Amino acid sequence: MEILGWIVSFAGLGLTALVLWRGRYLHIIGRFPFFYSYLGCGFCGTFALFLIFRFRHSAYPYAYWLYFLLGIVVEFAVLVEISDHLFEPFPAIRQLGRALTIIILIGLGLIYILPTILYSHSRHSALLGFALRASLTKAVILGALLLAAHYYGLRLGKNVAGLILGFSIYLGVNIANFAADQLFYHLYDNILWVMSPIAYTLCLAVWLIALWDFVPTPSTRTVSPASRRDPEAVTFELARFNNELSKFLNK
Amino acid sequence: MITFIYAAIAIGFLILVFGFLRKPPLDDPDEALTGKSYAPSVGNGRWLDLSERIFDPSDARWLAEELAFPKLAKALILERRRLAIRWLKALQASFDEVVRTPEITSGAAAPAASAGSWRMLWLVIRFKLLVSYALLVVRLFGPYHRLMPSISWIPFSRESEHSFQRAALAHSRSSR
Repeated sequence: MEILGWIVSFAGLGLTALVLWRGRYLHIIGRFPFFYSYLGCGFCGTFALFLIFRFRHSAYPYAYWLYFLLGIVVEFAVLVEISDHLFEPFPAIRQLGRALTIIILIGLGLIYILPTILYSHSRHSALLGFALRASLTKAVILGALLLAAHYYGLRLGKNVAGLILGFSIYLGVNIANFAADQLFYHLYDNILWVMSPIAYTLCLAVWLIALWDFVPTPSTRTVSPASRRDPEAVTFELARFNNELSKFLNK
Repeated sequence: MITFIYAAIAIGFLILVFGFLRKPPLDDPDEALTGKSYAPSVGNGRWLDLSERIFDPSDARWLAEELAFPKLAKALILERRRLAIRWLKALQASFDEVVRTPEITSGAAAPAASAGSWRMLWLVIRFKLLVSYALLVVRLFGPYHRLMPSISWIPFSRESEHSFQRAALAHSRSSR
């Protein structure tokens, strides 16, 4: 199992380096700043863990769990990136993704994630409980983003669709894996721990394919230049609708 | 047991994502809205007059009280409720059209986030909440129920009115 763990770790590191190199080659790092920052952070963190394992072995468990916790938090950056790109062409709902992400994160963070940190009986269950609930929260955010995109009939570009697909596979496996720990507690240390790194490596492979070329986000429909509007005109129209509805409701 | 619930959630989530990503993009997403009727421009006075008629209880009152046809009055109320729901849905469909208006971009550069886009989002959410509330009231109590208690004491409604006037003024200046 340990050899498999090393193989998966090196494959993950290699794929991360490839995705970063490709992003730099295509000059798209600035277009996906949160995503590439997250990958950069992941690359440096994994590399630092290798060094700690080699030179300060006694500190490795502490460093591993610290990196594990940091990774769970930093993964929200991928969601912010996806939410920013989903609604990008439409000024009226450009911030909808971020708003959904923030609201769901705060809501579930307070009522669902926080209790497991505060009331867990052991450090092990607190860590895995936090990982499980954070993964589920991310899945809920992603689901809400997809439903909102579906409601407005938005098209996904290849890059964003790939980000969503890769991240979903990773989250789905994580949810099942961390939940399985509650039932198969004795198996986690031996077998189940490797499932998350394998899922992450698969996720990186999907991201590499999706971001191999830059494909601009397609517009929802073919529109003539005349029907496009500047944000001020859209604000005016939205305010007008609101005003008419308010007048109507106040009658 | 809880493990299996989580496993089911994970599988359901993956099915949702795969289903959404596999669905071929619509050539015209308006197809998704097939069957929805659209409101004419909000500025269209005749269309707004229609709402006055739909939500006006005087006809039903006249039938019930002056002509003493309670059954007819009831039938009229039911029909008016159906019309009111269609009117509100048409208004919502037209609003969604405005929301889905792409921006004029001067190049491939990604547009920057601004305070304006948060304000637009607030207008979208506000409209959605109000129209959902109106639909709920019409569905539950019919078209002749007072839709909203007076909210003039809430600061945001006055602010919205002022900002609307400011936006209208700015727009009229820029269109000259």
